[in-house]
Amino acid sequence: MKKSLYEYAARHAINRRSFVKGAASAGAIAAMSGGISSIATSAFADGHSELRKAILQIPGVGAGSPGDADWQKVGEMCLGPTKERVKEGEFKGVELNFLGLDSLNLHNMLHRGFLKPWEKYTGAKINWIDLAQADYNARLQQSIATGTVDFDIVQSGAPYEGDLCGKKLLSEMPGWVADQIDLADYVGYLQAPVGTWEGKTYRISIDGDCHNFNYRTDYFENEDLAKAWKDEGHEGNWEVPTTWQKVTEVSKFLRGKKHAGFPAYGYLDVQKGWGGFAFYYLGSIATAYGKHPSSPAFLFEPDTMKPMVNNPAWVRAIQDVLDRGDCQPPDQINADPGVTGFSQFLAGTGSMCAWWGDVGSNANTSDESLIQGNVGFDILPGSDDVYNWQTGKWETLSSGPNYAPNMAYIGWGLYCMKTVDDDSAKNKAAWSACSHIGGKDLSLWMSMYPSGFQPYRNSHFNIDEWTGAGYTEAFASDYLASEADSYNHPNAAIEPRIPGIFQYYSIAEDELSKIYAGQYDAQTGADNIAAAWDKITDQIGRENQIKLYKASLGM
Amino acid sequence: MNEINRMERDPLYVVSPSYISPKTKRLGKILVWSSFILMSFIGIIQILYNLEKINFGFSNWRPLLYAYILWAIAIGYSRVLIYGEKGKRNLFIFPAVMFIISIVIFPMLFGLYISFTDWNLSSLDGRRFNGLDNFYQMISDPYYLNSLKNMIFYILAVLVEFAIAFLLALLLNSQIKGRKFFRVVFLIPLMLSPVAVSWMVGKSMLEQRFGPVANFARWLGWETPTFFSSPEIARLTMMCMDAWTFIPLMIIMLLAGLQALPKEVLEAAKVDGANKWTMFKNIIFPIMLPVSLTTLVIRIIFKLKLADIIIIVTAGGPGGATDSVTSFIVREYRDRSNVGYGTLLSFVYLILIIIFMTVLIRFVNRWLQRAA
Repeated sequence: MKKSLYEYAARHAINRRSFVKGAASAGAIAAMSGGISSIATSAFADGHSELRKAILQIPGVGAGSPGDADWQKVGEMCLGPTKERVKEGEFKGVELNFLGLDSLNLHNMLHRGFLKPWEKYTGAKINWIDLAQADYNARLQQSIATGTVDFDIVQSGAPYEGDLCGKKLLSEMPGWVADQIDLADYVGYLQAPVGTWEGKTYRISIDGDCHNFNYRTDYFENEDLAKAWKDEGHEGNWEVPTTWQKVTEVSKFLRGKKHAGFPAYGYLDVQKGWGGFAFYYLGSIATAYGKHPSSPAFLFEPDTMKPMVNNPAWVRAIQDVLDRGDCQPPDQINADPGVTGFSQFLAGTGSMCAWWGDVGSNANTSDESLIQGNVGFDILPGSDDVYNWQTGKWETLSSGPNYAPNMAYIGWGLYCMKTVDDDSAKNKAAWSACSHIGGKDLSLWMSMYPSGFQPYRNSHFNIDEWTGAGYTEAFASDYLASEADSYNHPNAAIEPRIPGIFQYYSIAEDELSKIYAGQYDAQTGADNIAAAWDKITDQIGRENQIKLYKASLGM
Repeated sequence: MNEINRMERDPLYVVSPSYISPKTKRLGKILVWSSFILMSFIGIIQILYNLEKINFGFSNWRPLLYAYILWAIAIGYSRVLIYGEKGKRNLFIFPAVMFIISIVIFPMLFGLYISFTDWNLSSLDGRRFNGLDNFYQMISDPYYLNSLKNMIFYILAVLVEFAIAFLLALLLNSQIKGRKFFRVVFLIPLMLSPVAVSWMVGKSMLEQRFGPVANFARWLGWETPTFFSSPEIARLTMMCMDAWTFIPLMIIMLLAGLQALPKEVLEAAKVDGANKWTMFKNIIFPIMLPVSLTTLVIRIIFKLKLADIIIIVTAGGPGGATDSVTSFIVREYRDRSNVGYGTLLSFVYLILIIIFMTVLIRFVNRWLQRAA
């Protein structure tokens, strides 16, 4: 059991068994999240439990990767809420352009299948615009800036809300949509202000993003490694590290050793850019060092937008990556997150990696996974000490290590563009399509199978439903707790929703590439990033950025 | 007889009467000017509306486009009204001229303007003129300078590619078994999309754990074969992948040249007892010089645009070692939405390419004249 989870459970006087079982687990998570009350009511009281059971058997955990036929079947079975609000053939003649991703053959690939029965029933037609992850930011930014919005529905992340809402490009969510999708079921951190702008709601969440910590249980149960760990005089037992200091120690310990006949590797560092998304991986280390519980800020100083990326916390995080450089698999400098998560970790290389929830949802359901039964989960490691940017000093907290799970990207959502507002049928069709994908039951299926989306509703955390689908209780409780603990962590690092956020990440990736290639030391490289960030802030408009940054931090 | 004389004077043989009344001419001029005034009027209205100087206008620029098309049609028609048969002749090239103006000249002028602006797509203020700031930023931009340096290496690699291509072209030109089969096989890489090459070769065959090339390298004794880890090897690998794709293009061009060689000269050399090397050095290579230089120039033009495989395989890394100018511009423009600066970089690169190619072609021409 994870330490953080144990502490929560102890505080709320429940034991692990009761915690992970059915409705009790729901109650526990609700208690942890500070009063989310809808969780226990979700699966059991809404009359959909049989439907939910049935869809989760398609194709069944362990029965291989689901395909288009499965997606269509699930989409068909989840049409109930649509049929309650839309007459058959009501949207005949309506055409919608849907812009989304085709990364890893997921996202839009699934949406197509889910919406096929919806199209058949409603009579609407959807035209698909698929983008690769690396092309996504540019395409969206160009459309926004040049006013050439050629799509009616966009799959987008909360970080873009600054761009989309700031330019008033979105259609406000109608009241019936909130009822259909049960907005109150979202986990706490996805509730307003996320998805809202100036008090209006614009987003249907279909994902809840955070980085969690994935590890190979067989490594940490390996007796030979345990003996070697002891023989080499390391402090503590051979166990899953819970701080970045220990992660580095374990990674260095594993260098040159073998596990199951293959070279053993520790933490898999991301060293190559990924259209801005790779920067999150440095952030997942740096938040433990630099996200102090007394302040929500960790990227910029709120009053001035002065970058923090070159403060001692971030520099230490960069230095960690450098220090672990010789413990990595060969060619790691060319490893982007797609490589570390999928080509390496899921394919059996390395013992630890940070990723979004996809590693968990793919571990037992993807044909590419070679680690079934050998994977465990936790929130991101913490740090023995934390840098307080307000005082400029490192502090050791009386509560123990500082944990600050990285809410990287705040999840994908579906947004309808203003283009649908001129036509009431189009407006209803667009929101109906989004509500279908973001529906309560369909989203449960997506959170359990490879989809590119992870659990984001309180009702997704019902262990019984996961075990009913074929997951083991141990796996489900472990995975879900890592997600819930991250979402509900009081010191979670929540990404600011400011315009151009990916520009900051993109230039940082370029500089990090140079640091990892040995061209600069960590501090010099970090200073370069800070200088580039300042330039971007000035270019976009410092005053406006400060205003939006503070608003997104709730200051 | 008169008819014959007239045809000699005017080979296109003007059928319609040459006299055009002043009234018709006036009508032609009125058409042009009225459509031009309409277009200007719509343009001014739209500019003022967008600058929020007036509170009426169109929701987009489409009406201006329609006015432009109307103006173009009016010009065409007025040529006939004013100049008669000669005007009709002009109509044959008129659409092409308007097309080039519309999609080359105008965008280029607009792009030139953008390159002198500070335009970040995320900025709520939109673009603003910033003079030479982008240029000053460029000359101190280590990424741009680094990518220019990399381009020198990439272009030098063309000489090696040329040598390989020449050798293969000679082989394909000789009487070897399965010559036709090999000609087709050698062309396959050129038919592949660079994206496919990037994934199949860069990300699969060269993958360090299970890639067949990596396995082969391991079998040869290279313990940890990594093709993108060190800057030098990464750059070399990128050169090899690009060469693998484009050497076939050079082969085709060189093979065409080889097949056009005068047979009698070669046979005469053979009769005189020249061996293969002597024939190549003294006959084939000199005669092939114009084709070779053309091949080199075309290949360099392709090389200057190198970007796709870099973006997909290494994203310019490690540490910018494989970055090309184009791949850097793509990052600056696409990932960082820095439209003004990205456009300036593109323009400067275009100018550098024009200068480089002009010098190269002049040099080639002089060399060819001297050789002749």
